[in-house]
Amino acid sequence: MRILAVDDDPIILELLGQFVEIIGTHELTTADSALDALEVLGDPETGPIDCFMLDIQMPGMDGIELAKRIRETSRHSDTPILMLTAMSDKRYIDGAFAAGATDYVTKPFEIAELTSRIKMVEGLAQDRQLRTKKIFAAKSVADQTSHVELFEPISIYDVDNVIEYTAMENYVAQLSRSALFGSTTFAFTIREIDAFHAALSAFEFYSLISDVAEVLSDTLVGHQFLMSYAGNGTFVCITESGWRPDMRGLMDQVNFELSQTELFDNHGERIHPRVSAGAAVRLIWKSGSSVMDALAQAHSSAEEASLAHTRSLTNFWDVDQRA
Amino acid sequence: MTKVMTELPGIDRIRKRFLEMLSERQTQIASHGLAAWDGKTVEEINSNLAGAQAILHQIAGSAGSLGFEELGQAARGCEMRIVDHLAGPDADLAICPVELISSLDSFVAACRKQIEAAA
Repeated sequence: MRILAVDDDPIILELLGQFVEIIGTHELTTADSALDALEVLGDPETGPIDCFMLDIQMPGMDGIELAKRIRETSRHSDTPILMLTAMSDKRYIDGAFAAGATDYVTKPFEIAELTSRIKMVEGLAQDRQLRTKKIFAAKSVADQTSHVELFEPISIYDVDNVIEYTAMENYVAQLSRSALFGSTTFAFTIREIDAFHAALSAFEFYSLISDVAEVLSDTLVGHQFLMSYAGNGTFVCITESGWRPDMRGLMDQVNFELSQTELFDNHGERIHPRVSAGAAVRLIWKSGSSVMDALAQAHSSAEEASLAHTRSLTNFWDVDQRA
Repeated sequence: MTKVMTELPGIDRIRKRFLEMLSERQTQIASHGLAAWDGKTVEEINSNLAGAQAILHQIAGSAGSLGFEELGQAARGCEMRIVDHLAGPDADLAICPVELISSLDSFVAACRKQIEAAA
């Protein structure tokens, strides 16, 4: 794996160099500023980069802005980005994830932590290479757009506060006990997503997911949150701010905004997606795997609400008509 | 686990370089501290405090990985005091709190002690 590490402290770059040397077959390129890194990336002689390691606080352009700039390039729209953060950078972590970071590792480094992050990133980089190969293979054979599985998390770009699902899992896994105190997770599911998936092309389906993500993001604006598309029409959100969302009110607001947004398929037919909201699950007193369970609980409750809504359309006498 | 990082091959060379840089860095911190203390304007005071904070941030980030845990923690403590001041209600006043200067002074003394111990 080819890594580009960017840090204004030469000691950190040397440490990373030494570390990468002992853990195996990786190759490290370094840059001592964001501008230097952009120059490296702009150089046609620079080979492909499989992973970025970015310091957050740097003079001039910081690591968050650099992550944004990297994400804007089609070549690195989903290349793993690992932020190198000091304890005093904790306040910037949300911004880093929102800018496109995949995960973060805290300075001073601990070998076990650094190794596990690199392994995780290596897995992502391999998946990414495989995906790219598949897309090229499909294009060369039939020049068709790639297939999108219904249950597959999709990366959505350029929508505020929307991050990749892996980044969401990493973010939640690293929330501190004090952050968990004010955190709540909740989810929305696009109703009858299987019917949309069956009727639309891969590109149309991706566009639908992106458009709904944009409406959700716009509706939640003003609140601190991060959101991710987890597959099967479900968007999982997390807020750390102590905000306790009113799910029914939010759902009505989102559906109102969707009704005001004109969405069309490739044949010019208008489509009318609507969402159901699940329960808001607080993360207080939770730790380890139970935090992930809470995320799954929020996820499944939104999907159940969506199914219940569909059932209620065919069984009018069903009393449980929430959502 | 941090100790394990100090067992990396080649770590002695990096520690040596860190100590050489620490000698320059402590001088820079001290001069930023003095300039902030003598500063007459908000801009002069805050930019010097921010300059000291940026150097402390670098020391806090690497010292612990090289076996200088105490120095790293002291740098972080000092850095956070400056960050809190610059984000606090007194940041738009042309005042440099004596507590900040005293904590920078103690940190510079700790750096000197560390450098002497390694010599």
